[in-house]
Order: sequence, then C-alpha cells, then structure tokens
Amino acid sequence: MKPGTTKPIVILGIESSCDETSASVCIDGRILSNVTATQKIHETYGGVIPEIASRVHQQNIIPVVDIALKNAKVSKNDIDAVAFTRGPGLLGALLVGTSFAKSFALALDIPIIEVNHMQGHIMAHFIDEPKPAFPFLCLTVSGGHTQIVRVNDYFDMELLGETTDDAAGEAFDKTAKILGLPYPGGPLIDRHAKLGNPAAFSFTEPQIPGLNFSFSGLKTQIMYFVKEQLKQNPHFLSERIDDICASVQQRIVTILLNKVKKASDETGIRQIAIAGGVSANSGLRETLQTWSREHHWDVFIPAFEYCTDNAGMIAITGYYKYLNQDFASQDISPLARMAVTG
Amino acid sequence: MHLKCSSEAGLPEIARQILEAAAGRKIFLFHGEMGAGKTTLIKSICQSLGSADEVSSPTFSIINEYDHPQGKIYHFDCYRLKNEAEALDIGVEEYLYSGQYCLVEWPEKIAGLLPEVCVDIRITTEEDLSRRFSIEQH
Repeated sequence: MKPGTTKPIVILGIESSCDETSASVCIDGRILSNVTATQKIHETYGGVIPEIASRVHQQNIIPVVDIALKNAKVSKNDIDAVAFTRGPGLLGALLVGTSFAKSFALALDIPIIEVNHMQGHIMAHFIDEPKPAFPFLCLTVSGGHTQIVRVNDYFDMELLGETTDDAAGEAFDKTAKILGLPYPGGPLIDRHAKLGNPAAFSFTEPQIPGLNFSFSGLKTQIMYFVKEQLKQNPHFLSERIDDICASVQQRIVTILLNKVKKASDETGIRQIAIAGGVSANSGLRETLQTWSREHHWDVFIPAFEYCTDNAGMIAITGYYKYLNQDFASQDISPLARMAVTG
Repeated sequence: MHLKCSSEAGLPEIARQILEAAAGRKIFLFHGEMGAGKTTLIKSICQSLGSADEVSSPTFSIINEYDHPQGKIYHFDCYRLKNEAEALDIGVEEYLYSGQYCLVEWPEKIAGLLPEVCVDIRITTEEDLSRRFSIEQH
C-alpha cells in the first residue's frame, strides 16, 4: 500500500528480452496476472507467431498487456508505474518493451522502472511463499544463462560464477540434437532420463577454476562418444536413449550442484535458490532435494511460470523498486549487455 | 591459407594469423560442425582484438555484444534461426553493415544476407582430434 493511504500499489511489468513477449500486473507484491504471447493468444487476434523474431514482439505487446490488465481486473488508469526489462537481451527485442513502457507511462503520466532481466529471475523468489531470507545463493540456469549469484539484499547482488561458454540449457538442447531429438530438447532428455540408468555411461567433469562453469567440452565429449558407439552398434541411439539421457542429465546436474556446493562451503550460506527455465528439470530438482538433506540446505524453487522468461518477475522487481522510489528517466535506452550486479 | 592446431594453447596464434590475413575485413564466417570449436576460436579472436569481456555462446540470445578498444564486436549464432526472414526480423543487416566486427557462427542460415567482403573460416576435426583451419578472403 502507498504510504499514508489505503490505495494499493499497482505495477505493470513488461518482458521482451528474447523470444517471449510477456506482461504482468502486480498489486502490493502479489502477481494477479502473468500473460505470455502464445499461439492461442495470437489466434484470438489473428496471425501466427514465428519462433524467433524481434519484430513480432511489436505485434504481441498490445494484446498481452490488454489481456494482463483484463485478467487482473484493473484499468490502465489504476497503474502506478510501468516496469520493463532494460537488458540483457537482444537489442531489437528489448527496444519494443522499452519503447512501449516509455510511451504508455508518458501517456498516463506515471513513472517507469528499469529492470535487469537477470535480477528479475532472482526476484521471482519474492512472488510466492516461502521466500528466502538474505543472504542466499541463487543458481540461475536457462537456455542463455548459467550463473551463481550471492544475494545480500533485494538489489545487492554479487556474481560468484558464470559459464565461460555454453549455458546449461544449451548443453541439454545440443545434446538432444546430437541424439537426434528435436529442438528444444531439454524437456525430452528429462523424459528419457526418468526411464534410464544415470550410471550407465560416465562423462568427465570439466575442471574449471573457481565457481565458473563450462559445458562446451561436455558437448564435444558426448558427440565423440556417440560417434564411437555408433561405429560398433548402429542401433546404439535407439537401444540406449534412456540410459544416455539419464547419464548426460546426471552429469550436467552434478556439474551445476558441485559448484553450488563449493559456493555454499566458501560463503557459509545454506539457503539455496534456483531460477531460470532449467529449474524445471526433474533431475536437477530431485538431486537438489537429496543434497539439501545431506548438506542441510534450505532450497527455494519458484513456480514454473516464474522460472521461464516472464513478466511476473519483472513486475515483482518493479514493485520492490517502487517501494524504494527507484524510477528511471524517459531518456533511458535498452542495453544488450548488463551485469547482474548493475 | 591453411593452419593446423593440436591444442587450445595454439589458438591465440591462429587468431593472430586470421586477423592478419583478414587485412581489415571485419566480417568473419565460421563454418564447422557442432563441437568443432567455433566459439572457442571466437574467444581467442576477441582476446586478440583486446576485448576483456566474457565470450559465451549466443545460441539462445542469437547475438552477443562485446566491447574492444576500437569499438564493438557482434558475435552471432544463427543455429536457432529457421530462415532469413527471422534474421531480418532481428535486424541482422543493421549489425552486419555497422562497420563493426561481426563474428558469425552457422552463417549458412543467412547466406543471402551476408556482405560480399568477408573472411570464411572452415574448421575441420582430424582423426587425431587436432583442428584444421582453412581461411579464405573474399
């Protein structure tokens, strides 16, 4: 609620950093709607959505905002501020969300709030209970990112480690490609892995200093492994797909969690949060739960709709920035590169 | 020009020779199958250009931007693009004709949009897992 009044704080959040166009309404820290452009939404307005196309954000932005407002049962005149993703992301895609936020706010004469997409993923932990207490460690894993961040306060974050080549989600997708599974293959690997033996094949763990990650070597290793096996048995993939997926998934998950363990040991922090689309992976979730019992960690995972790229996480970040009266000026422009700390 | 490299330690020298052979050309097209080492070579080229930024795979983001003392480096990965129309929607021509360095992985996907003045770099993996680089200026 706004200080000294009974009027709630209403934030409209906009996300358009890569593939998804999304809008969300947050009232007093609660997400009332979180709408991402899908084929279905687009059918209502006519046309189809290509998978990747920044300019398509332009076609999507009005419908998703319109539906987000309707679902939350608020009128545009109720909105107190518009929060938008400033970066990091694809410049053309970010421009659509930024320009929309600026013009919408200018027309309504309300402030705008810039949000760092990577901070947004972490702030998704403040949407639903239970919420982590400070300080906590967050492993953000998605198709484009792999980071371990120490979160000291809402907007006081420290990057402890990140990938030096491929992201974890990309390791899943590229493995799927090697195995002849369709893109994006992450969820398919997860499905096969459930039926396989994770100890069937062993892949070596890359030796990367500190808390950084590398997945490029693993991808190459899997490729040569498959090539060799196919020489001996042309039906290797179809016969052993479940075991291969289980073994690869197990390796990716332990690469991630070994670094989380290292970060926890080094910092003494036992509150472990995960964010990003890969946190949907059941192997990661299960192993994390097992390790949390062994190492006495408290584990936090947001609801899936707040793990993938979404505007809910942007709206909640906007809400906390609104409480700090941390507004951006109208001359702001998007940034393709942005550190999680900035 | 053909170069050979048997370990990652040799990449800075390969990167140096590629930049020298480019003779001012700023569009570099990297051909090679998955795992050939395109991103790894690009890392070395960015370092040779004096960039201190962390180079990572842009498969998801499509285009990464890095700074170097003389300007920008755009690192493309067209792997995820289905056709040239998608590339145009992202605005790739604005990057390709910006006068800045453009390092393009999977350029086959946007063959019709690429500038004529460029450097083709083909990476092949030999039986002993060493890499062979064929460099051709256009």
